[in-house]
Amino acid sequence: MSRNAISAEELTYHYGELVAVDHISFNVAESEIMGFLGPNGAGKTTTFKMLTGQLKPKEGQAKLLDMDVTKRVERVRGEIGVCFEDTNLYEQMSAIENLNLFARLFGLRSFDGDALLKRVGLAGRGNDKVETYSKGMKQRLMVARSIVNKPRVLFLDEPTAGLDPVSSESIRNIIIEERARGAAVFLTTHDMLEADKLSDRVAFMNQGRIVALDTPHQLKQQYGKRALKAKVSTDDGELEDREITLDKPETLDAVHELFAREKVVTIHSEEATLEDIFIRLTGRGLV
Amino acid sequence: MNWSIIGILIKKDLSLFFRKRFIVALTFLGIIMYLTIYFVMPSSVNENLEIGLYAPGVIPPAFTQIQEEGLEIEGVESEAVLKEAVIDGKYVAGVSLPADIVEKFMSGQKPDIKLYFTPDVPQETRDAVAVIIRELAYLQTGQVLSIKITEEILGQDMTGKPIPARDRLRPLLAIFLIMMEMMGLANLLSEEVERRTIHALLVTPMTIKDLFTAKGITGIGLVAGQAVLFMALVGGMSEQPLIILVTLLLGAALVTGIAFLIASISKEFMSVLGWSFLTIIISIVPTFSVMFPGVTTDWAKVIPTFYLIDTVHRTANFGSGWSDVWLNLLILLGFCLAITWAGITALRRKFR
Repeated sequence: MSRNAISAEELTYHYGELVAVDHISFNVAESEIMGFLGPNGAGKTTTFKMLTGQLKPKEGQAKLLDMDVTKRVERVRGEIGVCFEDTNLYEQMSAIENLNLFARLFGLRSFDGDALLKRVGLAGRGNDKVETYSKGMKQRLMVARSIVNKPRVLFLDEPTAGLDPVSSESIRNIIIEERARGAAVFLTTHDMLEADKLSDRVAFMNQGRIVALDTPHQLKQQYGKRALKAKVSTDDGELEDREITLDKPETLDAVHELFAREKVVTIHSEEATLEDIFIRLTGRGLV
Repeated sequence: MNWSIIGILIKKDLSLFFRKRFIVALTFLGIIMYLTIYFVMPSSVNENLEIGLYAPGVIPPAFTQIQEEGLEIEGVESEAVLKEAVIDGKYVAGVSLPADIVEKFMSGQKPDIKLYFTPDVPQETRDAVAVIIRELAYLQTGQVLSIKITEEILGQDMTGKPIPARDRLRPLLAIFLIMMEMMGLANLLSEEVERRTIHALLVTPMTIKDLFTAKGITGIGLVAGQAVLFMALVGGMSEQPLIILVTLLLGAALVTGIAFLIASISKEFMSVLGWSFLTIIISIVPTFSVMFPGVTTDWAKVIPTFYLIDTVHRTANFGSGWSDVWLNLLILLGFCLAITWAGITALRRKFR
């Protein structure tokens, strides 16, 4: 059984009177991707900062690889990789210089920057100044920088926000490869589809609290509903929608009745999305 | 502290510093410009004795007829003009004759002759002018001690050896040089905060102490290096080099602390530029006390750079020793510690 790479217990932070994170607890195992979802102001970034040692929790405890983040922050930082939402590269340096700088800060004696750039699809551009890069290239370089030290815990804050599909896919592949290497991945995102696709488990955060935490499948089972959606043709030739909720005792009869009484034009099944569940749980969208 | 990380950060900062063309241009043009200014200034003191003369009545013939090598007497139309010309440095001394000088000579009375000097005219020159006036009176009357001389110093009195103007300029040029570096350093720090690269650094094994140590060493190294180079090239290290070195290092630390403060309140390059120029303008005020003695008064001592400039001036130009400048250095150290502490505290808040 994998051991916990991240362990948060009753983690709390407040800015003056405003409670940003309110007694949250969760674990992330090695080789697990945890999607951390929530709207702006939900407390995701504050949690992110407490876990990476940038903020000291007001209450509770955060442990990474069994080390207290507050007490052994330097040791912890040697084992983590962080990719920020905002681009924060040294733009007047080349990509390879950026990577080499961070490799040296992590104390790496041998480091193959070109191989890492190739991995993120930036082969051949390593000596170009970062200021000449597109947003997608910069983001891929940010991800590359975050894995320079082969971290055991990888923190990614909105790694694919605003990127083209190719760049997004490239970054998703890296995340999956890092999980396969054994890293625990803490992924905060607004993108429910991405979270659904990548995460082994997801946590919904709202107003500083975790309102749900489970695998995407379990969350859909527990909070969502599956349905059959059909378009039927009426007598005067117009199309109307019909919906039959699945997984209920009366579902089969309802399907038979639909085909017997109506002229079905199209029919398909539909699963609840994480976004539907989030809205149902919190009464608000991810804005 | 991790000296390996500090070394990496210093290398990175220097690399970034020298990639900014504007800052590099300021640095190198600054050195070249200040050296040029220094070397085009006259290297010797004008030894001609130029005296302004105000005589409301009849001028005794001896005062207009004397022609000695190195002595020039020029008449002016009023006592106010005479004083102004002396303050402006047009004359080494101003001589004001009373309206009834000839009558008093004739009647055997002692006329009162007023002499005006600039504050930095050495005592020897004042004595020489007084002797010339007595000689003129003697030539006129054939009697000794036939006049009463009253000396008036315009502005604050200050005695000392004559110093070439370019040597007086040295502290001003040095302070300009290091203040310009402050702008580059503040910009480096400000960019680190605004572009959030600081956050990327703060999730590596680097500590905040490592960061400030690296920034401090980079700042002090860049600033002191240039100031020492400049002072060495203009001969400012020939007197008491150790004191000059310590003073410049303290000055560099002061400037680094100010750069921390500026970086903490600036949002982008233009605000760095604005705050830096304001700081430079305030910081160079004490140089006027060196360039133009008597112009500034004790209030200039509230400006930290006073202790830097005054120490450099006294040491480089007058050969002052530790016993003369230790208090200056102590106060400068106090300002350095206070400003650096304030800068680090403000920046730490901004890093969050």
